[in-house]
Amino acid sequence: MNKTAIIIGREFNERVRKKSFILTTLLTPLLMIALMVAPVLIMEYSEGKEKRIVVVDESGIIAPALQNDGEMIFEPMPVTVEAARSAFDTHFAILHIGKEIMTNPSDARLYTNEASSINIETHIANQIESIIESEKLKAYNIENLPQILSSIETDVTLQSFKNQVSESDEEAVSSSSAVATVLAYALSFMLYMFLLIYGAMVMQSVIEEKNNRVLEVMVSSVRPFDMMMGKILGVASVAVLQIVIWIVLVAVVGYVVVTTMLPDELAAAVAMIKQGAAIETMQESTDIGLLQAIITLTDIGYLARIFASLLLFVMGGFLMYAAMFAAVGSAVDSPQDAQQLQTPIMLPIILSLFIMMSVINDPTSSLAYWFSFIPLTSPIVMMARIPYEVPLWEIAVSLIILYATFAATVWGAAKIYRVGILMHGKKPSLKELWRWTRYKY
Amino acid sequence: MNLLTIENVSKSFAKHTALDDVSLTIPQGSIYGLLGPNGAGKTTLLRIINRITAPDKGRVLFDGHDITPEDVYSIGYLPEERGLYKKMKVGEQAIFFARLKGMSKSEATSKLREWFDKFGINEWWNKEVGELSKGMAQKMQFIVTVMHNPKLLIFDEPFSGFDPINANLLKSEILELRDKGATIIFSTHNMSSVEEICDHITLINKSRNILSGNVEEIRHKHGSNIFEAVYRGNEAALLAALDKRCEILESKPSPTGINRIKLHIASDSEVRGVIATANECVELRSFSEIIPSMNDIFIRAVNGNL
Repeated sequence: MNKTAIIIGREFNERVRKKSFILTTLLTPLLMIALMVAPVLIMEYSEGKEKRIVVVDESGIIAPALQNDGEMIFEPMPVTVEAARSAFDTHFAILHIGKEIMTNPSDARLYTNEASSINIETHIANQIESIIESEKLKAYNIENLPQILSSIETDVTLQSFKNQVSESDEEAVSSSSAVATVLAYALSFMLYMFLLIYGAMVMQSVIEEKNNRVLEVMVSSVRPFDMMMGKILGVASVAVLQIVIWIVLVAVVGYVVVTTMLPDELAAAVAMIKQGAAIETMQESTDIGLLQAIITLTDIGYLARIFASLLLFVMGGFLMYAAMFAAVGSAVDSPQDAQQLQTPIMLPIILSLFIMMSVINDPTSSLAYWFSFIPLTSPIVMMARIPYEVPLWEIAVSLIILYATFAATVWGAAKIYRVGILMHGKKPSLKELWRWTRYKY
Repeated sequence: MNLLTIENVSKSFAKHTALDDVSLTIPQGSIYGLLGPNGAGKTTLLRIINRITAPDKGRVLFDGHDITPEDVYSIGYLPEERGLYKKMKVGEQAIFFARLKGMSKSEATSKLREWFDKFGINEWWNKEVGELSKGMAQKMQFIVTVMHNPKLLIFDEPFSGFDPINANLLKSEILELRDKGATIIFSTHNMSSVEEICDHITLINKSRNILSGNVEEIRHKHGSNIFEAVYRGNEAALLAALDKRCEILESKPSPTGINRIKLHIASDSEVRGVIATANECVELRSFSEIIPSMNDIFIRAVNGNL
């Protein structure tokens, strides 16, 4: 049996059987959900203690119209500012509205006794603004003003479609940009984590093997190249297994949620649209944004395309980076020594994360376009573009460049690895690593 | 028949020469000592034999042909720095290494059972290597090295870290392997073990082979004509009688009446005369040549005084 396969088997078994692998695989999705839900819950349930604000209104217009909300309680007081500031120092703040507020909008001051926040200040400023605006409107003496205002209020939901003429039917595919954005974030971030975590794992384990001299025993029966490939591929198969488990988990949970928890009329609407009904025919009460999101998320073809490219880019990106991490691991004696050498490897990974942010702002920017072909950044950047639908040829070209680079890095890394695993003692510089690649063995 | 022949092998790294035109032949079925001070080039030579590194010049012949990648299956190498996966179970790990040496899984399992029975360590099978003591891990490493029945075994300092009992066990295992036909290369600094078990040696110093041959031959060849006599009788009379025939190095009278004397006899032809003279004036109990120990030869050779 092929030796690389034996090593892959060992690396894979050793990691997959660990409790920590099972735990992280199952808990990470929960943690992600918790991370997404937690801020919302905190916003919902975190009612700070009530803030009493004394209002000294010299104009007489603002104070009566100020609305108390859960947290903020406005207490108009017929006193002077100076008196209020000395008398009410246990209140949260004193709001002073000047006489000229209608003509000079900055004639308002807030004296706080406790730490204030932008939120509170914007909230107060907004209230004052809308009071002044409606006062000004009143000055035009329009009849039935409230009715007019409420009848002109509108909330637009933009339906976005992919403009493609398919051969079978002329129907445009409805696509949800919200879903694409969330997917782009989630997928490229996942790739970023995988490259860093699993890449570092390869490096760690090479350092460990080198330190406890297992490599010296192995190297007498296995070529260093096979050893390195066995390790990289072994760890890669663990990563792939983890991703597949996550995809299955998400699919199962998603299926259960969609089939059981979706309100009936929404489910019916989704079904009708899938059978060709236009979105415009839906009842007015349906939330079209949500509807579109559900349709995108239940589009099996779209999801399959995304996950297939996810696996391909994870593999390509991981193999390329892992080879470099393995080379660094082989060259040093301890993780501390590795720090300096691994920096040049980490930089492009971190850079791609920043580029990913800009991709999400504008998926068609030339920055996004070019960096999704440059092999060191392409896995993360391309993964951020794919949910927005990228032409197949672009994905293919990007993958070809990525895998070609992978072959080149493995070739170079193997040369360093071969020298590095038998070197002990001094920490080599980048220049020395380069020299190692030209050693003849 | 030589199992391994090293012909004019040279190897240099960036700044220094590790091996400079080294040649040696290792007879089939022998225990061959590879000696030399630290940094002399022994490990590099062992790595070349194991095909871990390739020589710059020269060739390595294994069993009559240029060594090939498949030959590593016929070699067992116990490196000086022992290494095992600490988190892996003993049995599983031994099978892993055996498979890398070309054994099938079932073959490896049954072979391993045999060795574990032999060493009485069956209860280790499912232990993690990290739980074993250093000596236990060494034993396991030894088993891993020999379990695929290699024709050539290379041991780099095999006895370091063993207590005398286990060192003896190991020694008898090594001799048994030799008796079953394996050829053994032994790299060590421990000269007494060389005298005990090696048939041949090569001494490498500063990248060159400075001394090769059969252990007994070497020791006799490098004897420096020093003899020791044990006798009963008058010391002064003996000293006076021998004074002109040879050089007295040391004379130790003893209260027990059994005295010792050390002599340097300039040429072999005078040995008989010296014995005859001594025999006439004292009662000789023994007269023997002092053969230098491998330790002396090693030190003298390395210092260039051979």
